[in-house]
Amino acid sequence: MKELRLMKGNEAISEAAIRAGVDGYFGYPITPQSEVLEYLMAEKPEERTGMVVLQAESEVAAINMVYAGAGAGKMVMTSSSSPGISLKQEGITYIAGAELPCMILNVVRGGPGLGTIQPAQSDYFQAVKGGGHGDYKLIVLAPASVQEMYDFVELSFDLAFKYRNPVMILSDGAIGQMMEKVEIGEQKVRLTDAQVKERCPWATTGKDANRERNIITSLDLDSNKQELFNVKLQTKYKEVEANEVRYEEMQTEDAEYIFVAYGTSARICQKSIEIARAKGIKVGLLRPITLFPFPNKRLLELSKQVKGILTVEMSAGQMIEDVKLAVECSIPVQHFGRMGGIIPSPGEVVEALEKTYL
Amino acid sequence: MAKVKGSIVVDIEKCKGCEVCIPACPQDVIRLAEEVNGKGYHFAYMANPDSCTGCANCAIVCPDGVITVYRKKVSE
Repeated sequence: MKELRLMKGNEAISEAAIRAGVDGYFGYPITPQSEVLEYLMAEKPEERTGMVVLQAESEVAAINMVYAGAGAGKMVMTSSSSPGISLKQEGITYIAGAELPCMILNVVRGGPGLGTIQPAQSDYFQAVKGGGHGDYKLIVLAPASVQEMYDFVELSFDLAFKYRNPVMILSDGAIGQMMEKVEIGEQKVRLTDAQVKERCPWATTGKDANRERNIITSLDLDSNKQELFNVKLQTKYKEVEANEVRYEEMQTEDAEYIFVAYGTSARICQKSIEIARAKGIKVGLLRPITLFPFPNKRLLELSKQVKGILTVEMSAGQMIEDVKLAVECSIPVQHFGRMGGIIPSPGEVVEALEKTYL
Repeated sequence: MAKVKGSIVVDIEKCKGCEVCIPACPQDVIRLAEEVNGKGYHFAYMANPDSCTGCANCAIVCPDGVITVYRKKVSE
């Protein structure tokens, strides 16, 4: 039988990292994400698997340690909350520009600026549109439970290495702090140096006599070459869009209206569906699990069947733009959200649906 | 008849201010403090200590187990 534990989202992601055979974690404390670093420090993964856990002197240092580790072909990760993720953006665009795999966790809190320490989803644009400078994308996963916080660690590293691209887990202060039952997986052994060399022939692992030098850089002063590189990146993102879209649907079969929501908002919408259906309103839910790539195709299909869409986000309305693009503005798309760390209640969401469409 | 008087002790540093305990209390004893703990969270405290019956509902629902409940028999 699998092992079950009652854990916080932040603890689940840390345990998952140790069990997935991650080589290094570099972070800096910030509420509501500090338990990641605290749990890893307390668990002493250097004794369990040889994993390095280091509290850097700043977020900027942490992301650049990730850059270096990823360049050596290691499985490396960092985590922070909104203001800290803003600090990391320079490193993230360099990592994307150097085509390196890594995992970045954002336990989102209310902004802008230092904002609040309560949950929000106001970093959607930053996560899915790149975040730093230059034409690049992150693969973005949005967990809606503590179990998914656990499961997405291995998934994110699989995707990161498959596409040589940074992956972001876009969580929030509610899922990070929430206690839930988690099914714990087997302990995986960290890759040996020889296995790293085989998996990552591009990595800087020490030059053998029989191969060219591997150079990790995001700089090219020749515009023609840089454009070719940009085209290569865009081709990669197209491939990601074709192969990696993930989403979950609830009661959409007979739905006249649908909620589109991810993460904590999607959990709230599940309850809202129950309340609305008891009132005779036929409503369903589409929950994007990958925010990039976005489930455009499925949304367009659903737009032929439903009368209207309500996006529910703990923000002023960010994902709504992608939903409107996906349905090609063929049906009404409206937004409901709370901001600044306030979590909407299921009843409020139903009220908003009634006010908007009924 | 012996009456029971209750009291709670909150582990302030572990409280994340999720407010689950507040509606769980039938006597409306608990509120979130104006001050914050080391992490920045407003923590739960006994706003109406005289009303506490020591029913322990708050401790049962607390997801982080930060509430300890004490009961004392008082004869009137």
